[in-house]
Amino acid sequence: MSGGIGISLLGRSMVLIALAVSVLGAFSGIAGGMKRSDKAWKWARICAYTAAAAMTLAIGLMEYALITNDFSVSYVAKVGSTTTPLWVTIVSLWSSLEGSILLWAFVLNGYIAAFAYFTKGKYVEHSSYTLGASLSVAVFFSFLVAGVADPFIAMDPVPTDGPGPNPLLQNHILMVIHPPALYLGYVGMAVPFGMGVASLLAGKIGAAWSVALRRWILLPWGFLTVGIILGGWWSYEVLGWGGYWAWDPVENASFLPWLTATAFIHSALIMERKDGLKGWGIVLLLVTFLLTLLGTFMTRSGVFNSVHSFTQTPIGPVFLAFLGFCSFVSLVLLSTRMDVLGSKQKSVPVVSRDSMFLLNNLLFAAFTFTVLIGTVYPLVHEAMTEKKLSIGEPYFNELGIPLSIAIVFLMGVGPALPWGNIDRQDALKRLTIPVVGGIVAIVLALVFGATGFTPLISFAVCGFALMTTLRELIEPASVRVERKAESWGKALWTTWSKTRRRTGGYVVHMGVIMVAVAVTGSGAFKDLSEVTLKEGQSVEIQEYRLTYTGKETVTESHRSSEIAKVSVLRSGREIGVLEPKLNNYFRMGSVIGTPAVHNFLDEDLYLNLVNMNADGSVVGLQVITQPLVLWLWLGGGMMMVGTLISAWPSRKRKRISSTTQQESA
Amino acid sequence: MNWKVMSVGLLFCVPLIFVLAKGFNYDPRALPEELTGEMAPDFSLNTLDGYPVSLTDLKGSVVVVNFWATWCVPCLQEHQELVASAEEFKPKGVAFLGVLYGDTKAKAEVYLKKHGAAYPTLLDEAQRTNIDYGVAGVPETFVIGRDGRIVKKYTGPVTKMELEVLLNDLLTR
Repeated sequence: MSGGIGISLLGRSMVLIALAVSVLGAFSGIAGGMKRSDKAWKWARICAYTAAAAMTLAIGLMEYALITNDFSVSYVAKVGSTTTPLWVTIVSLWSSLEGSILLWAFVLNGYIAAFAYFTKGKYVEHSSYTLGASLSVAVFFSFLVAGVADPFIAMDPVPTDGPGPNPLLQNHILMVIHPPALYLGYVGMAVPFGMGVASLLAGKIGAAWSVALRRWILLPWGFLTVGIILGGWWSYEVLGWGGYWAWDPVENASFLPWLTATAFIHSALIMERKDGLKGWGIVLLLVTFLLTLLGTFMTRSGVFNSVHSFTQTPIGPVFLAFLGFCSFVSLVLLSTRMDVLGSKQKSVPVVSRDSMFLLNNLLFAAFTFTVLIGTVYPLVHEAMTEKKLSIGEPYFNELGIPLSIAIVFLMGVGPALPWGNIDRQDALKRLTIPVVGGIVAIVLALVFGATGFTPLISFAVCGFALMTTLRELIEPASVRVERKAESWGKALWTTWSKTRRRTGGYVVHMGVIMVAVAVTGSGAFKDLSEVTLKEGQSVEIQEYRLTYTGKETVTESHRSSEIAKVSVLRSGREIGVLEPKLNNYFRMGSVIGTPAVHNFLDEDLYLNLVNMNADGSVVGLQVITQPLVLWLWLGGGMMMVGTLISAWPSRKRKRISSTTQQESA
Repeated sequence: MNWKVMSVGLLFCVPLIFVLAKGFNYDPRALPEELTGEMAPDFSLNTLDGYPVSLTDLKGSVVVVNFWATWCVPCLQEHQELVASAEEFKPKGVAFLGVLYGDTKAKAEVYLKKHGAAYPTLLDEAQRTNIDYGVAGVPETFVIGRDGRIVKKYTGPVTKMELEVLLNDLLTR
């Protein structure tokens, strides 16, 4: 057992080292920015690397303790169990509060070290301030790990076994990806926040710095996107909640910073090209970070009723205090320094790409506000009247659907228009093809049996935006084919690789359109029925024929599962055997179902095992058919691919710009 | 110092943080019962067969409003209980109404044909009534007194026995 005490002691020492050097680095960074001192800046970088190394060791120690079932460490005693499979043990690092805060601190320090490394030798003042500000955030997280959320407390007496992590989390391999993806998204926003603070403190934003800002927010934005989509996938394919999005407070919490970050990614283009929207852009950056804090608070404080049911912990008030502190600092900085930034762009033509960007930002701001109000209002109401109130899906759908449609519509208009002043005739001409695309989409939707005003309009704007996006991707190549007589393959490759940032952006737009099509189809045309089947009995549901062929029981070390085997024919064609199941987790004593889903390109067949009699001769099944769901996951993947194309560091550009960036930053 | 930015920011942040802080005192799992004791939000909706029904027309009688959907398992559990209660209490002057939540007319018709219907179900196509009643999930059942005020809200399936006790009490008042 002495080894356990050793791990507790070592782990905590590492955390304390990270805390100490973060404090030091925060001061050095700020000092380096103020005095434009290379020496102080260098110290800030060294501190950033040291803190990251210490946190890496701390997390390594915790994993070691988890894998070796060292129950003398409090966190292992809380989530570990000798019967848990190895992969579950490894990922149980983020299955509970203390471990996930440790992971958070680790990821944060990793990001800061990466920023220190990649911006070495570039824009002294801004980088140094950024390190100062983001290390200050790291101070808070190291402080949490060292104090209220300490996972390294030495247990006395040492328990011989633990309960194992929450069964919902043991249910699927996806637990390996969904939470860390969200963390990488959430935590990554601390660096753009630091960069925003740096912009305010330095009092200027050059073109090069706004490019850097955009790049450093793209990566966490991509992770946030993937985290959100995977969360949807998880609740849909694994948890059997039947849907992928329920406007649950915790889902909203991840959506809010995504909205403001998306708005920023667009306004950063105006910053870079037109030297405008600077103050507003910085507001978006700071708000994005504050919203990730709010999101973490919502998930972790126990104040909101949510499917992500974490119990009330002492971390709530501490987090709230930090949120209040960061909001106050942001406000003071904004109100004293925002005017210094200045903007050259004074007026914007009403119909132009510029104005579409403004409109885009307005819509995203309105969306953020709508979701925030809907999420927080029940608390506001309770604070004022001492009475409970709930806001459900209808509110969010009523406001969210038109806003989303408007945003997709803008995606079709904006890129079709040129920057600055334009000729009306010309603009109309540019919009002809997209309008035709919209009409074709409506016709197609009608042919496939879609009905209703909102779904049809939604499909129409998707078709409209799709044509614009495709044209933007292909048009530059077609010019080369015509003028230089290049082959299409070569022309596309050349234009795409030369304008990678732009190309990546449009690939993301394609992904968004796929997601929008999927959400429209699956949201509006879902069909659900309940059937009871005896062994050997069949039932016809739409074009499907389902036959219950028998049950199977599978026992693993941590659970036993009752599996119903259902063979499926679609329009007479054999599809295979679907196996929805009910899992019984021994330690927790809870039964959790796993649905069986078959993805077709046009729709999903989704089976939930509702109940099964004792000998397995009769089963109750929930049968759901939901169109186009597959496109949601494909669209999410496409968005990530686009982000990577856009954000991947380009060697050539770096070499050219590193000399110019010094002056322009 | 840009006081405009400062004051807008403060106006937004301070109440938000205050409200979040107050949230610590509440149990998030307690069920919402905001409307209890309040006047029931009025509605005028069409039944599945297209007859208009409005709450004001029923003023003076006790009304049971049940929000449900065909895809909701607990709704099916309580369906027979509600049908039985309706059959018992309709002759005594209690009005029963169903309101469809996030579902279609066609599916509701098939469902009611299969499981039986003892009272009309209303279509809330704009989801207005669902929002007014703060329906967060189905089933939810509201019992409205003769004075038009909400007496009780049930979240989750109701039983005939629960309703019987409450309705008998309301009818004798």
